[in-house]
Order: sequence, then C-alpha cells, then structure tokens
Amino acid sequence: MSSSVGPDCTELKQKYDNCFNKWYSEKFLKGDTTPECEDLFKDYRACVMVTLKEKGIDKLLDESRKEAPFPSTSFGENNNNDNKQS
Amino acid sequence: MKLFKSVHDFQYEWSLVSAANWQKYPNEHCTHVHAVDVLDRRLDPETGVLTTERLITVNQSVPRLIMKLLGGDSNAQYVREISIIDPKKKTLTMRSQNLTMSNLLSVEEEIEYSVHPEDSNKTQFSQQATISAGSMMTRWASVLEDFSIKRFQQNAAVGREGFSKVLERFVVMAEASQQEQQKNIKSNNDH
Repeated sequence: MSSSVGPDCTELKQKYDNCFNKWYSEKFLKGDTTPECEDLFKDYRACVMVTLKEKGIDKLLDESRKEAPFPSTSFGENNNNDNKQS
Repeated sequence: MKLFKSVHDFQYEWSLVSAANWQKYPNEHCTHVHAVDVLDRRLDPETGVLTTERLITVNQSVPRLIMKLLGGDSNAQYVREISIIDPKKKTLTMRSQNLTMSNLLSVEEEIEYSVHPEDSNKTQFSQQATISAGSMMTRWASVLEDFSIKRFQQNAAVGREGFSKVLERFVVMAEASQQEQQKNIKSNNDH
C-alpha cells in the first residue's frame, strides 16, 4: 500500500484505504451507493491536513482549487457538460 | 507547448481495472511516486458518480541543467489529481496538474479508462498531456519542454508496465476472494 505525505499518517491512511477498497469492489461497483468508511476518513484526513500545513502544500492547493474547485473535472477550462441532456 | 497522447488496451474488464487503479502505487516500476493521499471524496447519491481529489507526492530525478533552469532542488514535487468514476457509464476520468513549480512549468494530464469499444472484456486507456514552460522560461522553454515530454513518456511507459503488474496480482486476489465467498455461502447452506 502507498504511504502518506505525512509519515505519521500512513497507518491511518492504510486503514482507510483498506476499508475503501473493500467498499469499492463489494458495494460501489455493484450499485450500492451507501457511503462507508467515513469515520476512518475523518481521522486520516485530519492527520494529513496538519502535514499539508507544515509543508505549505495547503497554499498550493488553495491556488489550484481557485481555478478548478472540487468537484470539477476542469483545470481552468470551460466545463463541457456533456450530461446536460435527459 | 508540447503535447503527448497515447492509447493502450488493458486485457481486463473495466470494473476490475477501476478497482485496481486505487492500488496502483506502490509498484516497482514507478519508484518516483512516493506518496498518494486522498484529500476529498464525494459520492453523488443520484448519479452514483464518485469524485475524488488526491495529492500525489513525486520525486523526479532531473539533470543538472534542468535543475539550474528551474532553480529548484530534487525535493518532493506535488501533483493534484481529480478523478471521476461513473459506474453506470463505466468510465474513469482523471485530470491532474502539478502544484509545485507551476509558474515555471505546467504539466496537465488527462486519463480515461473505459470499456473497450470492440471487446467488453477489455479496457481502453487513453492518456493525454499538455506540457508548457511558463513565461519566466521563455529563453529555455524549448529545452525544458523537450525534456519534460521525454520524461513524461518514460513515466507513462513505466506507469503502464507497473499497472499491468498490479492488475495481474489484483485478478489473482479477486478470484481467491470470490472462491472464499462461494465456499462460505456453500457451507452456510449445508447447515
């Protein structure tokens, strides 16, 4: 499994990843949209946020998100909304 | 500005490829990828579409000339990636852009995994990248772009090789887990 940018967060990340991967294959792909693993994600994310701040990555992300906010597919382009029909 | 485009087939069906995508790293071919973090994730309950934002931490070994041009060191570089999975349409689209050194060089990548148009058991992979040196690099733009495109091609090649290996292992594990589940169902029915 991959590591986290914050070495202290790797364990939390892998717990979350394991949960997500299981959910993805067993639920999501089979059409079940009930979200899971949210508590694990909260803990992991809280840890990563600290690292992002320490390394100044949060500022870089803010810049990028100004141009292409989440959720969005485009980075500074016009959004092609193909799914406008029906 | 330089463009890169490639299309490739993976010999596995889309659901499996999309699941293996989350476990692509680490792999022995892509040693430049050091960390992958999920920053945000949203599931649209109506469309079923899953959107994910990730931070990829990369360490690129770079020739000294390029390093001098960029004025950087070989510290970690960061990439922001947004991926969108539509389980009904069976498409996985990923867009990413470098966060670091973006005023000097911009690398934008777009990837799509979709069901192969001629064989629904296969997955088509298309990858496109736009690489352009920033305005601060006008004199050396061409040098920087040429290097970046070549490096991108190399990374793309090891990326495909690495992912193929990941897929092979993934299939084995998925089949084993399925057999395990069927055994459990059978033994439950036998009671």
